[in-house]
Amino acid sequence: MAEHRTQMKIVGEILDTATQEIDEYEGTTITHIIRKANISHGRLSRILNNLVSQGLLEQVTSKRSYRYKTSPSGREFLVAYKTFREFSDDFGLTI
Amino acid sequence: MEFFFEIILNLVGLLVGLVIGTISYIGFKNTASPTLFRLSIAFFAIGIGFGILATGFILDDFIFKTGDINRGISTLGVASQTVGYWFIAFSHTIRTFFPKSRYFRSIGAIPLFLVSFNYIENILRAVSFILLVYGAIETLISYIQGRKKTTLFVAVGLGLLAFGEFIGWYSFVFPETVLYVTSIIIKIGGLISVGIPVSKIPLRKISFDENL
Repeated sequence: MAEHRTQMKIVGEILDTATQEIDEYEGTTITHIIRKANISHGRLSRILNNLVSQGLLEQVTSKRSYRYKTSPSGREFLVAYKTFREFSDDFGLTI
Repeated sequence: MEFFFEIILNLVGLLVGLVIGTISYIGFKNTASPTLFRLSIAFFAIGIGFGILATGFILDDFIFKTGDINRGISTLGVASQTVGYWFIAFSHTIRTFFPKSRYFRSIGAIPLFLVSFNYIENILRAVSFILLVYGAIETLISYIQGRKKTTLFVAVGLGLLAFGEFIGWYSFVFPETVLYVTSIIIKIGGLISVGIPVSKIPLRKISFDENL
């Protein structure tokens, strides 16, 4: 049975992908995030808009398409997320 | 002398509960995770419960000198702990039974306990025991799935808290025995075991790799 992912977990995976997959154009594409985070385009668009408006992701235009990279506060959130995800796991809970 | 021992043990419980609660709250402030919010409420309630019991013993030892803790204060302390255990069990219930329900994720139904304090205290201890056994079993299942050692410590800790409650319950049947002190020692051991994951949380300011 597929594991249910919380919104928090999906956000963590998106930020993780946008942090790790930085190429020469600075940032990663929506297609790449969809593949890595395993999420539908419609849902991802809503989450990306939310993350950009909260300052956790930066939207950059490159080759007539939008690319995304994690902002400094996004990286800060990601470190906190990973730390406390471990903490929740220790209690047998999902963050 | 017995009171002194109980005061110390309850103060340790207060400290451990507040430390875990604070770490969980820091996690909640940083990530806005509802799970961490529930954990912080749980451990603050457990810590405060121990604190209330310590206060009850201190008040009787230094002011009232009746030789027994006030039943109202005692019930309040046990009730606070029960609420804490309930929140731990509630978090597991959400994860297990309502993984996709936003309604059940958002509600925080407060258990209502409405009869003599002694009677209520016995009921609360029984409820605490059931909640703790449930929490311990769920955490043990998580350990079996993930094989994380710290999860096992939490499962053992919750199991010890449950056993401590069980022994504490019996101390009402056999008052004036070592059962109550034994139950407190077991519960403190459980709390310390539950608190082991906290030792892994970096308390210094998190720094970032510039090349990241």
